[in-house]
Amino acid sequence: MTTLIEVSGLRKQYTSSFRKPKITALDGIDFKVGEGELFGLLGPNGAGKTTTVKILLGLTRATAGTASVCGLPVNDPESRRRVGYLPEGHKIPNYLTARQALSIFGRMSRMDSATINKRIPILLEKVRMGQWIDVRIKKYSKGMTQRLGLACAMIHAPQVLLLDEPTDGVDPVGRREIRDLLFDEAKTNGTTILLNSHLLSEIELTCNRVAVLRHGKVAAFGSVEELTRKGASYKMVATTMDEALVASFRETGAGVERVNGHMVLSVEGHEHLNALVDKLRARGGMLTELTPVRSTLEDVFVDLIRADQTAGSSVGAHE
Amino acid sequence: MKVIAANIEDVMREAAARWTLVAYFFLSTIFLIIFASAINLDIVDGALAGAKLFGKEVDMRDSISIEKLVLGFETGFSAILYFLCTFLAVFATAHLVPRMQEKGTIDLYLARPVSRVGLLLSRYIAGLILAGSNVLYLMGTIYLIVAWKTGVANPRFLMAGLIIFLMIAVLLAFAFLIGVITSSTAVSIMSTYGLFFFGVMLVAHEKIEAALSKDWQAAVIKTMYWVVPKSAELGQAVVAFVGGEELPEQVLSALSLAPFLSTAVFGVACLTLASWLFTRKEF
Repeated sequence: MTTLIEVSGLRKQYTSSFRKPKITALDGIDFKVGEGELFGLLGPNGAGKTTTVKILLGLTRATAGTASVCGLPVNDPESRRRVGYLPEGHKIPNYLTARQALSIFGRMSRMDSATINKRIPILLEKVRMGQWIDVRIKKYSKGMTQRLGLACAMIHAPQVLLLDEPTDGVDPVGRREIRDLLFDEAKTNGTTILLNSHLLSEIELTCNRVAVLRHGKVAAFGSVEELTRKGASYKMVATTMDEALVASFRETGAGVERVNGHMVLSVEGHEHLNALVDKLRARGGMLTELTPVRSTLEDVFVDLIRADQTAGSSVGAHE
Repeated sequence: MKVIAANIEDVMREAAARWTLVAYFFLSTIFLIIFASAINLDIVDGALAGAKLFGKEVDMRDSISIEKLVLGFETGFSAILYFLCTFLAVFATAHLVPRMQEKGTIDLYLARPVSRVGLLLSRYIAGLILAGSNVLYLMGTIYLIVAWKTGVANPRFLMAGLIIFLMIAVLLAFAFLIGVITSSTAVSIMSTYGLFFFGVMLVAHEKIEAALSKDWQAAVIKTMYWVVPKSAELGQAVVAFVGGEELPEQVLSALSLAPFLSTAVFGVACLTLASWLFTRKEF
């Protein structure tokens, strides 16, 4: 898989006002995103997500490290010919219509007028804005403006899409449509998509891999599957779940927790799990559901942040 | 070229949508209507029999030729137009950089494959086209009205628009510099007008230098005079250019190259500095 976004040892320090210490926004982050990948960038406020995106677009300069898009260094304007960007809280000039906005941004991306004119209706249909093509943006709802922003980011058919809160203000159906559109872009056109969002469920549903940033560092990195896999825990639903059964499970060393009519079992492995199933059957019980327990991305995220706060407070106590 | 065209379209559409374009040309049109109704000429068999300006009879005892009268009108109005065109231009264009630099807007422009200098200069060109079209509208319409009413065409009046355009170009470059630094339309407008009037004040730099008690203070004023755009001298140059040899020697002396060159150098320096700062700016 070709790497389209590469970030290596990226550091960014902001100089604040005179005699005040420098603020470290990024503290040596590394990651690579391949062609056709949907990659999520997570982190609490001030973790360095937007700074990373801004460096990738050349809006701000890195203090140290390197970043490249499609093999080109980010300070080369040519790299942006292949990148589409949807900033958070964007302000597309509201005196324009969708057609005019797309035409202006298309030409600024050095597209020829014939291609732009051909692409505009197709793109607006894709984002379900076809009937609003000649209406001024000031008449649009927030969700519609967001869809148009997405169309603006995609007008020049970029290889890489950097999207900052793309579903902000969009209703649930619209969110689903945007998600489907992004899947389609990645699958059909091999577009690499970097998603920066606070909506963890969105990221979980959309992205293949994620990086969680914390204090300007990558705190967790991997596929959503890897990050949300929670040890050897299983949800068991059976016809019999009496105290005697629970006690017999605990005798084997299994952790048992009764939650809303089912049991959550913590076992050592598959053999251990099967032994518990045997015990259930030996007591005349029937298994109706047995599924591995996964945490959500939100759980992973909150755990990471809480772990950090706990570490911070214990350090504080020592000091 | 595509980027410049896109920026020109953006600037023009913004000017139209925000009523700037309407107000800009409306004010100019009011001036034109006043001008057209102010002149009342009575021409009999191609000769000037009588003239009224703002309803007042012009003294014809010295048998002024129609050519001389037209020259007089145009010379006087060119001075008014110099101020009117520059003031309206600064009002109509000073927002171009601050508004572009707003959060949520600048990202949309800089995320395109355009160099920052290219982006800034294409906005500058768009601003010049907007201001230039108004200069052409005002000067051109007055030129046509005069030619239609009197049959006398003085192309120098039309060409004087280029001097006004130079002053606008320099002031716009300064407004862009302030806009890049402060991101404030109000500060851009105020400081550009301040610069214009400072230039007017410095026309008396020799008198100011003589009045100062210390040599270094006089040197500062002299340096300032050479650095700051020569707004007074360029205004005089417009009048001198339109009036031609009919005007006194003192006025005609404004038509030397030095004020033009030093003003243009100031504009280029402002634009270069604005481009450099814009390139280095972090958003």
